[in-house]
Amino acid sequence: MSARSGGAAGALGAKGAAFADREYWVRLVLFACASISILAILVIFLFIFRESLPAIRDVGIGNVFFSTNYNPQTGHYGMLGFIWGTLLTTFGAMVLGAPLGIGTAIFLDQIAPERTAQVVRRGIELLAGIPSVVIGWFGLILLVPFLARTTGTAGYGVFAAVLVLVVMALPTITTLSAETMKSLPQELKEASAAMGATRWQTIYKVLLPSARDGLLIAVILGMGRAIGETMAVQMVIGNSRAITFSLFGRTSTLTTRIVTDMAEAPPGDHRSALFAMALVLLLLAMLLIIIIRFVSRQRKLAA
Amino acid sequence: MNAKGADRIATWVFWTLGIITVSILAFIILEVLGRGLLTALNPRFLFGKPKAMTAGGGIFPMIVSTLYLVVLTIIISLPISVGAAIYMAEFAKKGRLNNFIRFCLDSLATLPSIVFGLFGLALFVTAFRWSYCLMAGAFTLAILNLPILLRSTEEAIKLVPDTYREASMSLGASRWTTIRQIVIPSALPGIITATILPIGRIVGESAAIIYTVGVFIRNVPVNPFDTAAPLAGYIWATQAEPGVPDWKCIVNGGAALLLIMVFVIYFLARWAGNRYQKKKLYGVGSGKT
Repeated sequence: MSARSGGAAGALGAKGAAFADREYWVRLVLFACASISILAILVIFLFIFRESLPAIRDVGIGNVFFSTNYNPQTGHYGMLGFIWGTLLTTFGAMVLGAPLGIGTAIFLDQIAPERTAQVVRRGIELLAGIPSVVIGWFGLILLVPFLARTTGTAGYGVFAAVLVLVVMALPTITTLSAETMKSLPQELKEASAAMGATRWQTIYKVLLPSARDGLLIAVILGMGRAIGETMAVQMVIGNSRAITFSLFGRTSTLTTRIVTDMAEAPPGDHRSALFAMALVLLLLAMLLIIIIRFVSRQRKLAA
Repeated sequence: MNAKGADRIATWVFWTLGIITVSILAFIILEVLGRGLLTALNPRFLFGKPKAMTAGGGIFPMIVSTLYLVVLTIIISLPISVGAAIYMAEFAKKGRLNNFIRFCLDSLATLPSIVFGLFGLALFVTAFRWSYCLMAGAFTLAILNLPILLRSTEEAIKLVPDTYREASMSLGASRWTTIRQIVIPSALPGIITATILPIGRIVGESAAIIYTVGVFIRNVPVNPFDTAAPLAGYIWATQAEPGVPDWKCIVNGGAALLLIMVFVIYFLARWAGNRYQKKKLYGVGSGKT
């Protein structure tokens, strides 16, 4: 720029500076857009935390988070029973959903003819889009009566919730597992086949071990869906305050207790205790993401 | 057991797992449509007003609420998502900050929607004193949809080949001019496709809206600050506290309609995506630099 002379140089310099200036502002605005995610998570955490403070202050941390005594009429807000309900239903959903999802992913990647695989993939994407109230309604009018007839119980309860959660988590697990399987190098499959291994031996001894971390992440994200699922579970779990260790016991999870109580919880300790449950859900979700980051970092280090 | 036998059994098992997955989907679709399709397509149901005590109510205000909510949410979240996606795709350098933004996005994506619902209640409905309204729900859903919208927009922007950027920059265009004149127009069809799928999520979302938008209205909402009742939340509330004698019929019809809406949106997204794939990068801006 300095090589130019006269009035032209000044004009051009100013114009160049204006350009640089605009570039700077544009960049700043775009960065602001990107950092909204940071702001959002921060504000969500702060508001949920602030709203849950009254209950924690009035009842005590231990009595909110580590007590199983939940009875709003007598001022007891222990949520441990619902944390147990969340863990139990999530675990059950993974016991059924992980083999089904990973198995379907292997089916798509290794076994199904291309056209069949294409149709199944579309189907799973569709399944992912079905609203949770629709799946819950389906569970309520079909699954619950069916369970009631076959087991002689009320039908509502942990098992019905587990089945609904399998449906909700299945697309997540299957899609991510299939992506992992697809990303494995083709040479791996060919080398194993060249050694004379059957298809099952290749899957079992070569593909599954090398896909392990990716499949683990798929299952963890499936867990995330199961932990957070609200409406569908609320419609079939029975919404009892009792803790259950039975597959057909009625109980509640953190999410369903919030929805069940919210309508009759005026601002005060009761409502605040429900926000404390949301706080636990928030921390659980972030914990899962931290675990996933850890797993994928290990994988990068190993590679 | 020999290896061949094990292989045959394994093949059968995987076929069975695949078939189970597909039959779950088929079963749900057939059941829900079978029970509700006739009601869902009945004009008196589609265009009628809901009734509080008597049978024969319709769901027109709820359909309008859902569509209104979709439009508001997209208006709020699309500019932010596109801006953030441009930053992430074009400017962001690998490092701590970038990593932290990704971490926050991933956390937002895993956060249960009921947490968003309570957050919306605490911030927009209570602290901002907006009361239950479409705007409160739209802002809540905009945050909820941010990660998914951002990711697909970012992918659309990254699909624009680097040669386009290099050609533009070598002609003397600045970074921002290149983005505005070359990158965004080329990525536009992809960005539009990226917007369709989140719409399906907004239509189906219920936990995040029952405490921000409302669950029952009698008349069509007009003002963005009016209380409304999107279809998904209305279905849930109707089955939770049945107030009309024909509530089962309404829930069946509503569920079928919801399913149809989500599927239409899905196939629209697929169709748009395929078109985009075929003529990728068609429609590069002809504007002067």
